[in-house]
Amino acid sequence: MTRYVMVADLRRCVGCQTCTAACKGANATPPGVQWRQVLDMEVGTFPDVRRVFVPVGCMHCGEPPCMEVCPTTATGQRDDGLVTIDYDLCIGCGYCAVACPYQARHISHRAAFAYGDQAMAPEVARFDEARVAVATKCTFCVDRVDKAKENGLVPGVDQEVTPVCVNSCIAGALHFGDRDDPDSAVSSLLAENATFRMHEDLGTDPGFHYVWDSE
Amino acid sequence: MTSAERNVPVYCYQCVAGPDLLNVKTLDGVATEVEPNFSAAAIHPAAGKICVKAYGLIQKTYNPARVLTPMKRTNPNKGRVHDPGFVPITWDEALDMVADKLNRARARGLTDEAGYPRLAVSFGGGGTARSYMGTFPAFLGAWGPIDQSFGSGQGVKCYHSEHLYGEFWHRAFTVCPDTPLTDYVLSFGANTEASGGVTGVWRHAEARARGLERVQFEPHLSITGACSAEWVPIKPKTDAAFLFAMLHVMLHETPRQNLDLAFLGRRTGSPYLVGPQGYFLRQESSGKPLIWDTKQDAAVPFDSPDTEPALDGEFTVDAVETGADGQIWRHQGIGAQTAFSRLVAHVAPYTPDWAEAVCEIGPGTVRRITSAYLAHARVGATIDIGGATLPHRPVAISLGKTVTNGWGGYECCWARTLLACLIGGLEVPGGTLGTAVRLNRPATTRQASVTRGPDGFMDFPLNPTDRDNWQAVPKIRNAHGSLVPLSAHSPWSAALGPSHLAWMFLERTPDNWPEVTSPDVWFVYRTNPSISFWDTPTISERIAEFPFVVAFAYTLDETNYMADVLLPECTDLESTQLIRIGGTKYTEQFWDHEGFAIRQPVVAPRGECRDFTDIATELATRTGILSAYNQAINAGGAGLPLAGENYDHRLDPDRAHAGDAIWDAVCRAATGELTGGTESEGLDWFKRHGHRSRPISRLRWYLYPEILRQDIRFEMPYQERLRRIGAELANRLHEQDIHWWDRQLDEYQALPEYRDFPGLWEGAVVAAGATPEDFPFWLLTTRSMQHSWGANASLQIVDEVAGNIKGYRGVVMNADKAAALGIGDGDMIEVRSTLRATKGKAVLRQGIRPDTVLMAGQFDHWVTPFSKDKGGPSMNPLTPMSLELTDATGSAADLVRVAIRRLDQAPEPGS
Repeated sequence: MTRYVMVADLRRCVGCQTCTAACKGANATPPGVQWRQVLDMEVGTFPDVRRVFVPVGCMHCGEPPCMEVCPTTATGQRDDGLVTIDYDLCIGCGYCAVACPYQARHISHRAAFAYGDQAMAPEVARFDEARVAVATKCTFCVDRVDKAKENGLVPGVDQEVTPVCVNSCIAGALHFGDRDDPDSAVSSLLAENATFRMHEDLGTDPGFHYVWDSE
Repeated sequence: MTSAERNVPVYCYQCVAGPDLLNVKTLDGVATEVEPNFSAAAIHPAAGKICVKAYGLIQKTYNPARVLTPMKRTNPNKGRVHDPGFVPITWDEALDMVADKLNRARARGLTDEAGYPRLAVSFGGGGTARSYMGTFPAFLGAWGPIDQSFGSGQGVKCYHSEHLYGEFWHRAFTVCPDTPLTDYVLSFGANTEASGGVTGVWRHAEARARGLERVQFEPHLSITGACSAEWVPIKPKTDAAFLFAMLHVMLHETPRQNLDLAFLGRRTGSPYLVGPQGYFLRQESSGKPLIWDTKQDAAVPFDSPDTEPALDGEFTVDAVETGADGQIWRHQGIGAQTAFSRLVAHVAPYTPDWAEAVCEIGPGTVRRITSAYLAHARVGATIDIGGATLPHRPVAISLGKTVTNGWGGYECCWARTLLACLIGGLEVPGGTLGTAVRLNRPATTRQASVTRGPDGFMDFPLNPTDRDNWQAVPKIRNAHGSLVPLSAHSPWSAALGPSHLAWMFLERTPDNWPEVTSPDVWFVYRTNPSISFWDTPTISERIAEFPFVVAFAYTLDETNYMADVLLPECTDLESTQLIRIGGTKYTEQFWDHEGFAIRQPVVAPRGECRDFTDIATELATRTGILSAYNQAINAGGAGLPLAGENYDHRLDPDRAHAGDAIWDAVCRAATGELTGGTESEGLDWFKRHGHRSRPISRLRWYLYPEILRQDIRFEMPYQERLRRIGAELANRLHEQDIHWWDRQLDEYQALPEYRDFPGLWEGAVVAAGATPEDFPFWLLTTRSMQHSWGANASLQIVDEVAGNIKGYRGVVMNADKAAALGIGDGDMIEVRSTLRATKGKAVLRQGIRPDTVLMAGQFDHWVTPFSKDKGGPSMNPLTPMSLELTDATGSAADLVRVAIRRLDQAPEPGS
């Protein structure tokens, strides 16, 4: 089997938001919608304080709460672990957005552009009516991942079939690959380092791992 | 990819930490996506990655607020309260207007009655504007004297002391750890993860992953502090105290053999003997400084063969001292100490206990960190680099802005460089390295700029301070040639002078100084001093007094609001230019390759925007300097000479050339340079491939081999030369009855003393007629990586992603301190200095000292579209331009004392 996952190395992340911007550019998300973003968190009290940057987005859960509550079966799950949304089926009810413990889903109820109502040429060229008034979220750049088979490429290794946030990461913090492949880079990272998953106690089996220390 | 899709290679050089190489995807002629140009991954120090700012370039191109046609002002009144009444005009009309003003200025003489150039220019981004202005530098070169005095941030917001002293001591315009080989870095306010660009972030992430430990000293927990092993919340402007105490521990509490004694003895001026007047003791016949040779038990010239120099001790010698203006003292049987012995005595008072009290940090910190520094230094270790065996000293010290400018900057730079010397870690693998040269020439490599001076140190092109050659009448308005000997006289020097003095002296020229005038014509490009300088409302007033301002305009902004003509140039993705890449330049830009990269039109220019090269050619034609302009291009005005060994692609100087023809010649010359003239690829080749390079030896990263080759010593620890030029400068100024620069003259100390640097800022409050207790907070700023230097404050995507960083467009303050003042998270607060007040939303954090508040970036826009509606405070309007806070390099620090109150509270008396 294949289970695609993201691994974020928190020792490397600098919170630069390059992944956030790259995702917005590649996926043409409207203003305010960030399928990938990096949180700026602080723990402790002065002067014993730590500040940490945490990339977040859809965790592509093994047990996705969003899918469970979807009344139209718009939210689905592929064999490779990717959680999907069928925009034709989605009615924008928002149940999934409420159910998601990661606040990873967004609904834009009307077309929105960077500078008000007037779309710029790139926004016109890439506007997708199907994404208005439906739930959207990180797709793990499914279009790129799906090109892997036809081209004999490996997601997470070959840039053409790797999510753009990973390609863009200037700290080498983001990694993508098949967790079920023991030889993949993500499997090595998970085997060799102390890791956690966000809200794992909720039983969501998230497909997004955080490296925070070497073992 | 369909036939309607294209991938176009270009570069992004919006900040000094570039360039980044990227591809822009187009669909049916519309730019749609940006991605790294991974064809450069093998040659790029950060695997070909690109910065967050590059992802804003598409919005930058299509921003609906762009100026798309030439405009002229219709309202003769200038100022913030006067709508300029810009109306569209044709290019012909615009160029005629500009050329007419230039021709009139030329006819009256290139300099005005006061001796200052009639034409002034200001460019932003630490020199990066040059990567976007095509052949305009050739136009300026052909014109004649030009004034670059009017700063937009340089001097007040740069690593100014580091630039000047760094180049003086080790050809280090900027200084950087040898990150791939270092194990322990002490970072005093250097915010590498926000300002070091892609290469800085990548190299440090790789280093952390292999175990690099970094300690961040900073009053707030910055991005870089977050990525460090330890944060030391040091009091603002006390960094020198910590560094001095490290010197104390290493020289008074550490066995001497733990230091690199061979390096100190052979590669520094430590053994030089110092006389009672504070100058080196010299052999009278040769004028050479003396050392004490323990083999002969005698004083001998420093470069005598087969000596064993004494590092410590006091000796009796016959010698001369040479002071300012050739004054000579002859000594017989005089007692002489080595420079090193003087240093040891000098740092004796700077104990760890003293420093910890000054810095307001925990007891034991100085000794613990100094001990770690020494332990990691591995004195005696070597490493093979490029076939050579070099010392390996994997410890380094970085200094950031505010630490390296303004008072205390000299002391910090001196102590940092000396701490590297004590363990033999200057300019060697793993240690503290310089990256670029700007003041020395030639600038091709750092190594090429090194020549040995008469005293065995690196020579340096100091501005003269002797009676015959001192510049009594400044050539430009910031007077760097007269007041700042260290600023030298390269093409960069003007911009590295005391840039705020030019603005200040416009309002009031100081006593016994040539009156400072407004330039007849001022060109401004990729900079916005009405926002980015200090006391910004006053800057706006000065700009409004300029008689004719030409702004190369992207959108309307706070500076071009005062312009007479707006010229819309093609922006990043619309125009053509070839630039150098690779080598070693600026902070973490250490490459194993060097070459060239192209920027080309990804899409057709919007509106009537013109390529900068075509604008420059038009101006050269209309001002009658076309031939000189073309010759300037041939000589290197477009980035490199067009002729070299085995190739000659020079342009006919007597006719105007199309932009593509110029860049084709430049591309062919670049190929010729890279291949020794065996190949000649033109513009089309570069447009297809994006870049071309060749490998270089990693030995280029280190100056030490060149130091060995020329048998040079680093000019440490004793600053005899600086002491002398300071004394000479004092003589020159006092001969003119000029005393307003006396405070700055105090900086020229051979061994700098620690002074109460924070107290200087408190003193400035008193000088402003206020009480320090009424302004109890330090106001600092910090870099917004998403914005810095890209003229992108009007970009929605940049604003949106920057908003994920806490404190963006707010005022960060300590949560507990805020609670004590009744301020809650998100409350509107007023921040007031002695100059004026601003307001912003409180952002409460634990990672900041209780006595410090922070405003990220530089906002406060009132014209720039989009940003003016987003709000956000800036420290710039609150920060005075002040002679008393100006150091000897002509710099001051981004620091001001302020009062805070919640806006629904009544003002406190005196605040």
